[in-house]
Amino acid sequence: MQYMILIYEPEGCYDGDGGQAALQDIVARHMALAGELRAAGIQQEGAGLQGVETATTVVTGAGGKQTIHDGPFAETREHLGGYYVIDVPDLDAALAMARRVPVMEGGKVEVRPLIVH
Amino acid sequence: MHRFGAAIAEARPRVVAALAARLRDLDLAEDAFSGACAAALVAWPNQPPRDPGAWLWRAALRRAIDAKRRAATRSRAVLDAPEPLPTPEEALMAADQPIPDERLKLIFVCCHPALAPDSRAALTLKVVCGLATDRLARAFFMAEPAMLQRITRAKKKIAGAGVPFEVPARDAWPERVEAVLTTLEVAYAQAYEDAALAGETAGFAAEVLRLSGLLAELMPDEPEVLGLAALVRFAEARRPARLDAFGAMVPPPEQDIALWTRSLVADGARLLDRAAALRRSGPRQILATIHATHCGRAETGRTDWAIIAALYDVLADIRPHAATVVNRAVAIGETRGADAGLAALAAVQGMDDWLPYQAARAALSARAGRRDDARAAYDAALALRPAPAERLYLEARRRSL
Repeated sequence: MQYMILIYEPEGCYDGDGGQAALQDIVARHMALAGELRAAGIQQEGAGLQGVETATTVVTGAGGKQTIHDGPFAETREHLGGYYVIDVPDLDAALAMARRVPVMEGGKVEVRPLIVH
Repeated sequence: MHRFGAAIAEARPRVVAALAARLRDLDLAEDAFSGACAAALVAWPNQPPRDPGAWLWRAALRRAIDAKRRAATRSRAVLDAPEPLPTPEEALMAADQPIPDERLKLIFVCCHPALAPDSRAALTLKVVCGLATDRLARAFFMAEPAMLQRITRAKKKIAGAGVPFEVPARDAWPERVEAVLTTLEVAYAQAYEDAALAGETAGFAAEVLRLSGLLAELMPDEPEVLGLAALVRFAEARRPARLDAFGAMVPPPEQDIALWTRSLVADGARLLDRAAALRRSGPRQILATIHATHCGRAETGRTDWAIIAALYDVLADIRPHAATVVNRAVAIGETRGADAGLAALAAVQGMDDWLPYQAARAALSARAGRRDDARAAYDAALALRPAPAERLYLEARRRSL
């Protein structure tokens, strides 16, 4: 089954002293994990996302009227920071993989199966 | 009730689990089993066959395969011919085919941590024990449509998210067994709260008793599973003594031991011995030992509060829940006096709206001779809308001040 691994991290978790170093460390661990998953044929795709300050949202309202908003779709304390798409046998394997995703304290990793046509 | 209810209930976990493993579809497995039970009414004129499980397994499997075939051809809108019942020859043949034992897999699926604990408990009781949705709804104090929705959602999640129909890998075992245990605790908490209602809901506790026994049978090397099965037995042994003639609650130290079910106490003791032999202690084993100590009054004529207080000391370290704190204070009140008990109770804050806290505060205050405090605590407890049996008990205690 294919699953998307969505990585949410607390707002501003890389701010302040040591933030850059922490970010570099997390990115390095993502690279290592992604390399391993690709080699094992598990990872289909994935990417980190630029900061939430670069997000723009298109909202479709009543009658199909569309407006453009500055910012992410929901104002929450956690932001989607990146994703993986993996192909593993079942949810247990996907959850085992999700546990290995490096995140800062308070980080959340959501596992969602893809719709397969 | 089905004429062969006992034979069917006995066969159910094994047959439904084997069907679910084969079909990878909980709904289809349940439907096929129900259909086979209905067919059994006709096919078993006077008594069940030698092996009812094997009969139901074959009949249900055939129904499920037919149902799948029909679903595949439904678009053609052809009326289906009525389904033939298994012939006596078929039933006889089927009796010789062993049913694969997939019960543990089914329990791990229904108790998967990807489901919320309440959903796990409802789903397990529905699928493994065959409890009807309306009975589950009553036990969980929910409206039936809400309970149905909870179960439907859980099944959809299992199918959609790809929960595997497997016994988990060894490294995941501790977490997964813990999920099974919390599921059973949720289920038993519902059954225990029903004490006062007795009557139709008392059967719910019997199902949890059966389920905990099944788990102990399937995981004989998991001490906490054995501990929980023991705990349920000790607590259920006292159920017949939990209400007095007027329907008021009777706490364990005041219960008539002649009403306790001795065979359940013995079963609990055996399970607890087996758990202890595995030499891995845990909160359920400690709780079971506390229950066992209460039950020990049947042998010694007195409640050994010193042991109970010591066990709550240990439990408070590993499971510092409000219930542990309150029960520990009660035990301390019995061993070191009511003032010491009140001091232990005062160590916790913010439990004013919790009934067991107010009930313990009231009882300890009364014994310490603080009648005004006791009266205030009884009033606070009664304002928290206790269940009828507990209300009667608290009112009587308040009057006796």
